[in-house]
Order: sequence, then structure tokens, then C-alpha cells
Amino acid sequence: MSRSMWRTMLALVAVFAALFVAACGSEDSGSDSDSGTPAQTQEEGGGSATEELFAGSATDNLENPEDGVKGGKITILSGGDVDFMDPGKTYYTYAIGIMSALHRGLYAYEPGSLEPTPDLAAGPPEISEDGKTVTIKLREGVMYSDPVKRAVTSADVKYAIERAFTANVANGYAPIYFGDLVGAPEEPGPYKPIEGLETPDDQTLVMKLTEGTGAAAAGALALPISIPIPQEYAEKYDKESPSTYGEGFAVYTGPYMVESDAQGKAVGYVPGKSIHIIRNPNYEDVDDFRPAFIDEYDIQAGNEDAAVATRRVLGGESLMLGELEPPASQLERLLEEEKPQLSAVPGGGWRMISLDTSRPPFDDIDVRKAVIAGFDRNAVRQQRGGEALGAIAQHMIPPGLPGFEESGGFEGFAPEEFDWLQNPAGDPDLSAEYFKAAGFASGKYEGGEELLIVGDAAAPDGPIAEITEQQLQEMGFKTKLRLVTRDTMFTKFCNVPDSEVHVCPSVGWAQDFADPQTMIDPTFNGANIPETSNSNWPELDDPAANEAIEAAKLETEPGPRAQAWADANEAVVAQAPGITYMWDYQSLAASPNVRGVQNGYSTTWDLNFTSLRP
Amino acid sequence: MAGFIVRRLLGGLLLLVVVSAVTFVIFTVFPSTDPALLRAGRQPTQEIIAQIRIDLGLDKPYLTQFVDYVTGVFTQFDLGRSYVSGRRPVADEIFDNLPATLWLTAGAVVLWLTVGLSIGILAAVRHRSIFDRLSIGLSLIAVSAPVYWLGLVSLYLFAPEGGALGVEFLGGQGAYQIGQPIGERIQALVLPWCVLAASFAAIYSRLMRGSLLEVMGEDYIRTARAKGVSEGRVILRHGVRSAVTPVVTVLGLDIGILLGGAILTETVFNVPGVGRLAFDAISRGDLPIIQGTVLVGAFFIVILNLLVDVLYAYLDPRVRH
Amino acid sequence: MAVNTETDVTAVLLAEEKQITARSPLQLFWRRLRKDKVAIVALGFIVLLILVAILAPVIVALGNAADPQETNSSALSAFGAATGPSGEYFFGVDNLGRDVFSRVVYGARVSLEVALISTGIAVFIGTLVGLLAGYYRGWVDTVLSRLTDVVLAFPILLLGLGLAAACSGVDGCAGGLIEPGLPVVITVIAIINWTYIARIVRGQVLSLREKEFVEAARSVGASDRQIIVREILPNLVAPLIVYSSLLIPANILLEAALSFLGVGVGAGTPSWGGMISDAQTLFPEAWWFMLFPGLALLITVLAFNLVGDGLQDALDPRRN
Repeated sequence: MSRSMWRTMLALVAVFAALFVAACGSEDSGSDSDSGTPAQTQEEGGGSATEELFAGSATDNLENPEDGVKGGKITILSGGDVDFMDPGKTYYTYAIGIMSALHRGLYAYEPGSLEPTPDLAAGPPEISEDGKTVTIKLREGVMYSDPVKRAVTSADVKYAIERAFTANVANGYAPIYFGDLVGAPEEPGPYKPIEGLETPDDQTLVMKLTEGTGAAAAGALALPISIPIPQEYAEKYDKESPSTYGEGFAVYTGPYMVESDAQGKAVGYVPGKSIHIIRNPNYEDVDDFRPAFIDEYDIQAGNEDAAVATRRVLGGESLMLGELEPPASQLERLLEEEKPQLSAVPGGGWRMISLDTSRPPFDDIDVRKAVIAGFDRNAVRQQRGGEALGAIAQHMIPPGLPGFEESGGFEGFAPEEFDWLQNPAGDPDLSAEYFKAAGFASGKYEGGEELLIVGDAAAPDGPIAEITEQQLQEMGFKTKLRLVTRDTMFTKFCNVPDSEVHVCPSVGWAQDFADPQTMIDPTFNGANIPETSNSNWPELDDPAANEAIEAAKLETEPGPRAQAWADANEAVVAQAPGITYMWDYQSLAASPNVRGVQNGYSTTWDLNFTSLRP
Repeated sequence: MAGFIVRRLLGGLLLLVVVSAVTFVIFTVFPSTDPALLRAGRQPTQEIIAQIRIDLGLDKPYLTQFVDYVTGVFTQFDLGRSYVSGRRPVADEIFDNLPATLWLTAGAVVLWLTVGLSIGILAAVRHRSIFDRLSIGLSLIAVSAPVYWLGLVSLYLFAPEGGALGVEFLGGQGAYQIGQPIGERIQALVLPWCVLAASFAAIYSRLMRGSLLEVMGEDYIRTARAKGVSEGRVILRHGVRSAVTPVVTVLGLDIGILLGGAILTETVFNVPGVGRLAFDAISRGDLPIIQGTVLVGAFFIVILNLLVDVLYAYLDPRVRH
Repeated sequence: MAVNTETDVTAVLLAEEKQITARSPLQLFWRRLRKDKVAIVALGFIVLLILVAILAPVIVALGNAADPQETNSSALSAFGAATGPSGEYFFGVDNLGRDVFSRVVYGARVSLEVALISTGIAVFIGTLVGLLAGYYRGWVDTVLSRLTDVVLAFPILLLGLGLAAACSGVDGCAGGLIEPGLPVVITVIAIINWTYIARIVRGQVLSLREKEFVEAARSVGASDRQIIVREILPNLVAPLIVYSSLLIPANILLEAALSFLGVGVGAGTPSWGGMISDAQTLFPEAWWFMLFPGLALLITVLAFNLVGDGLQDALDPRRN
């Protein structure tokens, strides 16, 4: 080989080496980010910023939702599919929104209101003083679709709740809200009747509870779990493991149904792809609040890219977004150009970066307070649209729910006591103080723990997780960030206490129904930490908080109940379990010829009230 | 000849079995997430998870699982079931998405063959001219740019809604999905065809050029010219005919690869083809679908390789040994 | 994208056989390369790029640009939208407020490092396999060739994606040996690439071992190892250089494609392909985010392709 070739070779080798060394440094560099000025004060009435911004949008339709013209067909673009079409199994609000058009449960939420409307029930539930008995009267004459040719009876609601406890259905809400029923199974298992559900006649249902938690049980009747299921029809499907009711076969009581054949086989449902919804021919308007303007809905799943879907919807005809939101960064332009086609309502929930309180370093409350105090929550909120799309969350009960005002509203609890929450831009001095109180004299974390952070890779959660990692690094922590799919994040990491994840930045919680218990009990009660599908991400188990929560569950009168939950709220927030950063609004878009009405509970377009402009 | 074909067929079959084995190892043995846990829904208890494991056959030893899988694939074309979309058979998902990929591939092939081959022939004929140098230069650029970047740039310039030079009749992102009549779908495919064909056209033009140049130096070409055959006929009938053999070989391989799904192009333009299916499955961690698409892709490659080998043997008897 | 370049190398060897002059083929190769101005310019650019990659922190500091990992919420609009090129941010910012200019500069590190290392590994493995298969033939050859066939049967990108996805769980692959991120990408690319080298080397070795100088060495009593190292390997250097130069740009694009599809290097590390991927959702408003990394890729790969072209021409001038 010639000398010049050798020289070239050597040079190349040297270059390899230099590059390798150089690049090994670049992966770990995390440096100062822009920390906001500490003098920033808490904004007042945070929600009004969004209301102002969306004035003149389709949200205004909530003032007169019954105005509409019958007829037309709409195509809905959604990202994922429903989790289940079985009202007994379904868990997520996206599917619940669809259920409300197909079925009549005991109670439902009309658009623009978080007061449950009696739907299948004839009136509000009667809760006994001790909270152990709940009585509901049903309407007469509500008919099922083919092939079940009869009216709904209370026995059907009883069966619906009983099957929710079986292993083949395994409803996530059943043990939480109906677990106190007399005779309710402890573990999911084979079907067995529940003593505590009594049907003295076809139009009456009585729930008998072992504890005084009747208020929650009554509230939970707004969930699809109370949608009646005819036992004689569903039994054979419920014998399968898991039950095949809903996937292939179902009957309907609402103005709409999934396109089915005479046996009730849902031919219009292609799992993972589309749902074809048509009018229910057996439906008779029995005191129903639903105007049901549109004739046909075609739900198409698989629209992974929210930006593309939004563009198609806004530029097209008779299209609506399902659960996708217009990307926050484009909202500025969209609000200028296409406001009447957008809508936003409070999401009824909070977003949080949870800190694992069961292990070092976050088992020390001073460290937790130090992190929250120094964290720039504005930067993280900005990834979801900033101030325009929601206020900084100061506690666990979102605006609109009972107990919100009692918890101090947008400002939160007493500033002197809860000083670490007062600066959403981050207060480095206060943070340093808390670190010192924890024993770190330098004012930053000095310990050896490497934080495992597991987040959702998809935007905006991915960027939020990256920002979180950076801010933690600035506070002196060593970090390891892993971004995975949302499913994996939940099923393998954040919902599994044993996985030992320190920080879960992509978690949030929305109301199951309009009661503060749904925001605090599953998520902060020390008694609710199962081995899998754990929603108490901080693994909080504080005796004072647990006590306050259990006490609040037993309140039945609305006033005292709201106050009791505010007290529980305070006990939880005092434990600094995580960085709650937003009570966000859910925004939606629809085509110019669509008069969209957004439901305040499901936060999706309300299929019963939406219509086409003439 | 027949013996050659039979030998190759058997070899191909064996290859396919080995490929299935490797795919199985990669996607069933390697990954760390328990598939039963992924399918168990929101409130998985130990019993439910155990039941799902039995359902999916995960409790059997790996070898049994593999044998079941392979027999399923080859006898019933059962590629398993998706983790995500309600246990939909993977084969169904792939067949649903195959037409879009076929359309994309077919159009691109036609485009790059016409453009690439003509440029290549012209460049060879006008050897060392400005046209020649320009074509080499342009093809180098086309080959150097990332396909998806070219796609994004073309969308930026030509997308009807919001493109800088917005041209009405071209479809934008996601246009293929909405377009119902064939005409609209074809419209939506024009941009993806051009982008996909660009780098291939570059390669094929250089390939054709090189091959033709080599052939043109051969003796029989000189003979034909000496016999008084017109230059045009010499080039087309004698030159191109021989020069096209390597092109056919490579074409077969490229088609095989593209039939597995042009992931990058399909993702950028939102064309619901097999590549897009694979990509979505990867984002969702839906291993059976990934496994299925990889397997199907490999099948296409092996089969097309086989076809090309047979064709080559037909054209050139020396290869059959 | 398969390119049938085997005919070129055979032509090279035929040409070499006919050489009678005293100059060695390699010296001629070098001389011809030096005359190719375009290739030399491209080579110069590559050297420049390598310097940029090594000196990235210096360049970023000189331009007064921000650290590539530094997120800056004030660079975004109130709604979180990215801002474009300005005096402070030459190439604008991305959706986290990070400086695109800095990220493009640091992105060179990832692209070059991945491409060079993975190509190096692939060439090493491929040469080893090809040598063994071509020299010893028999069952060794059959086994190794079938192995090569199996790997070549897979759709490249899908296989890479699948492997990377399977190893992207928190624990990585092979019991944590291969961590997600850079190591996975390098491994995946190397696994895909060694087959091309193996095929070519095997073909080379098959014809080389029949040559007179090998027979001569054997008749003198040289061992297999001596023959391989002294007679065969040196003749492989030139084609190996040429093929490496063809593989490197392909691997740069492959790494970028893997990052684009979301299974490349880790979250925060700047990678040109990853940046283009992030730009997709913000596009077409935030065009700067997509343009600059793409241009960087284009120019880099073009330079490598030009050098590769020059090398091929130098090796066999009959091509043109």
C-alpha cells in the first residue's frame, strides 16, 4: 500500500476516535434553561382567558343547543378506536360520548351543564339520610331495538351492574363506585346476582350499600354502566371470556344505533377502522332530551395526525374531529381565520407530573416541595397551548365541579401555607430553601438517585417530558428519560408500582362524573394502590389525607359534601404529590357547514345535538 | 431448465421458512413487554392476564408457538391477530392496505422507467455532452436527498391548501384517504409518485447509461453499423436490448422491496398502504402487525428474486449450470 | 435500492491483469483520483464537515447560539408556536424553543458518527464472512452464503424499524447490552449492511484465489493465513474503500430515516432525520424546522456520493 494511502488511513482512524469521544459528551449535556422572573403573580380567573378567546366560536351554540335542522350525514375523524362498544366495559370518555347517542342510561349530561339529567330515570335519585339506600324510578315504555322486542325494566339495569363485576366484562368503575353494594363481589369472577340491587317492581331500582357512600353510587349512575342490558339476550355473549357483547352483538335504546342486522349483529362496526351509526327504527321519544338532528354518522378511526385531520375537517364538508384536538401551536392562526368552526369547553380534569412518594428521593416532602417550587409550570403549559387553553392547576378539583370554589377557586389554598405553589414560573430561591431544609446545603439536589422518567412519546407529552427532564437536571438530579407509546407507558410503567418509575410526566385525570370524589379518591387514596392499573401515580398513602377522603365519601348533602371534598383536597395538596400544571380546555373543530355543539362532560361533539347548517 | 426452476423454488421455500423463524424470534422472543398485559384492557387482574395468555397461546413453549405460527402462515395464511384493533386478523389488515401500496408502486415504476431509461439512453448516446453531465449531476442530487424531505418540500410547494405554489389539482397530505372515486385518488397520488420515482429514476438512468455505454463498445454493434443499419435502430434494437438485462434484474428487486411498503413516502403523504400500516403498528407497539408486514415484505422480495433469477436463466443459459 | 455494481469490479480486475507498466494499480488509482476536481472538492467538504462535527461547541459559541438541548419557552409564542429565523436564532427555533442552528450543527455528529461506525462494523463483519466463504468454499461457503441470503431477504427499512422497535423498551435488547438510542441504531444498520460487503468480497476472493500469484505462493508452501493476509487482503483494499464510500451516504440516509420514523437516537439528541420528523406536525407554518436539516442531509450525502463516484472512476476509468 502506498504511503499516501497509509497516511489517509491513519487520518481517518484519528478522525473516528475524535468523533467518538466528542459525541459521547453531547448526549448528557443539559444546561440552563430560561427560568422565569420570580415576581410573576398568579393570574386571576384563569378560565376567562379561554372564554374570551373562544367568544364567537361554536362554543356559543351551547346557549341554544336545541336550535337545529333535522337531516344530513356527518363523518367523524378520530385517532384511535373506541376501547369497547360494550357500555359495560367502556372506560374512556371518547366512547362514553358515543354511547350517549346509542343508549339511554339512568342519567346523562346535556351539553352546557354538569347537572345530571334524568334520562332513563324518571327523576333524581332518592338518597337516604345515612347514605346507605338509593332509590331510582324508571320511565315506562322505553323500547329496545331488534331483536329484543320489549320495554326496558329495572331488572335490566340490575343485570347491567351485576355483569360489570364479572371477569368477562371487568368494568373499571364497578368496584370503585358500586363496591359497597351489599353482596358485591370482592374480585371479578363468574356471574352472580347482587343482593344489594333490588327491583321491587319493573320501574323501581333500589341500591342497598354497606357504607354510607350513596352519593357517589348515585352519581356513578351517569356512567354507561347504568345502561340497561337485557339478560336473556346478552347472557350467551357474556359467557365468552372476554364477553363478546358489543363487539358483535348489541341492542340499543337511544335515537341512534350501530348499523346492525335483524339479529343485532353490529355489521356497521369494524374494530379499529370505522363505526357506522344510523337512526334506531325502534326508538320512540319517551320524554327524551335528545333532538337527534343528524341522520347518519360515519366514524373513521386511524387518523393519527391531528394536524392533518384538522386541516381536512376545516377545509372540507360535513366533517368533525372525534377526540383529536387542533394542535395548540396552530390555534392562534385558526382562531383568527376559522373561529366559528372551533369550540372549547373545560376538560374537567387536571394534568400532572407525578412524583413517586414511596421511594427516595421523593419520599422526602421537602424535596417534593423544592421541585414544585422551582419548576416552570408555564413552560410546560405552553406546550398545550399556554394560558389560552387553561389555567395553571393549583389543586385537584377542576373548575366547574363542586368543591372548586371551596378550594380557593383558581388561586387555590392559603398562599402563606402553600408557598411552593405560588409561582407558576418557578421560584429558584424558594426551591433552594426547601432543598436546604431537606439537608442539601447547596440549594440543589446532591443525592445519588438517578431519576427514571417515563413519558408518552407523542406530542405534546413527549416535548413536555423533555422539558421536565431538563428542569430536573438543573435542580441537580441525574435523569434517565424513556419515551414510549402511551399504552406501554401505562400498562408497563406508570400504572405498575413495582416498575419503580420516579416521575411520570404524561399523566392526567378527568372526571368520571361531575363529583369531586372522582378526582381525588382513585388518584390519591392510599387504599387504592393495586399491583397493576394503578391510578394513584404518586403512590400517596398519607393517613391524614386518607382519613379526610373516607370522611368526604360519606357526605350526602351537596353543600357539606363539597366542603368535605375541599378539605380532602387540601390534605392531598399539602402532601405535594406532584406538579399539577393545567386545568386544560378541550378544543375541537368542525367543517363550515356543521353546527357543532360540544358536550361539557364528554368534551366531544355531542352527537345528539349537532346539526348541519341549512 | 425445469430442473433449475424446481431447485430454485425449493430453495426459495426453505428460505421463506427460515425467514419466518427469524421474524418470529425478533418479534416474539426479543421484546420485553408482555403481550397479554397489553391486551388485558384497563383493569387487568392476574386471572384475566392468565386467561389471555392461554388464549394467545403464550403459555406454550416457544418451539410449539413457532411451529403453530409457521403452519398457520403457510396453510391458512393466518398471520395472527392484532393487539390493538380488537383482535382483527393481521392478514385482513394487510390485504386492506395492499391496494394503496400497489397503486403507489405501479405508478412510480411506470414513471421512473419512462423518465429514467430515456434519460439514461440519451445520456449514453450524447456521451460527455452537457446533457450527459447535467443528468449525472441531477441524478446525484436526487439520490442524495432524503425521500421524506423531498416529499415535505413538494407538499410545501404544491399542496393545494396552503402550499406556496399551491396547484389546485394535486392532492395534499391525506388526500388519498378522502378521495372516493378513482379519479380523485389518482390525483392524490401524483405527488407521491413523483417523489418516490425521483431517486429511482436517477439510479436507473445511470444504470441504463452505464450498461448501454458498455454494450455500445461491443463488436456486434460495430458490425451492425458497418452493415449500414441506421443509428437509431442500432441503438434501440441492438444496444438497448442487451443493455436492458441488468436493469430488469434490479427492477425485479426494487419492485419486491416496494411491495413491502414504501414506508417513508406513505407516511409523509398519508397514503394508507402496507408501509403506513407497519409504521402505525410500530408507534402503537402492535407487534403481530409488524411481524406480519415484515414477513409479507420478505415474501415479496424472495418471490421476486426467484422470478428475476428464472428470467435471467432464461435469457442467459450460462447461468443455469 | 440495489445497484448492480459487481460488473464494475470484475472489469477492474480485468484491467489490472492487463497492466504491464511498473506503477502499481494503487498508485495509478491515487493519481487518477487527484485529477478528479469534483471529487477533491467534495472530499474537502467532507473534511470540513468532520471538523464541524468535532468543533461543534466552538461553532455554536462563535455564532452566539444557544445550547442545542436548551429549551426556551420565551422563544415560543404564547400559544406555544415556534418562531422563525431571526437575529438571535439564525435558523429559528423548534417546538420546544431549542435553537435549530445549534441542533443542525450538532446533528452532524450523530450522522457522521453513526454512519462511520456502523459502516466500519459492517465492513469488518462483511469482509470476514466474505473471506471465509470465498476462500474455504465447501460447507463453510454454503452456510455463510445462506445466512447472507436470509438477511438479504428482509425489507431493509422494515427490518431496521422492527429491530429498533423491539429493542426500544426501557431494558433494551440482549439483556440490556444494547441500550435504546444510538447503540441500537448503529447495531441495526451494521446488521443490515454487512451482507452487501460479504457478497462482494466473496466474489472477489473467489476469482482472486485462482490467480497465478496465489498459486505461486501456495507452491512455495505459504499457509492459508499467510496467503489471505499477504496476497488477497491487499487486493481487496481498493474495492473495499469504494464500497465503503458508497455505503456511508446510504447509512447516513438510513439513520436519518430511522430517526424520522421515530426509532432513532434518543429523545433530546439532535439528529437531522429526527428534526425533520418533528417538523411534520408544525409544517407548513414552521418551514425552517424542516428546511435546514434537510439541506444539511442533502449536501452531506451529495458530497459523499461525489467522492464515491470519484473513487469508482479512479478505480476503473473505463466506466466513463
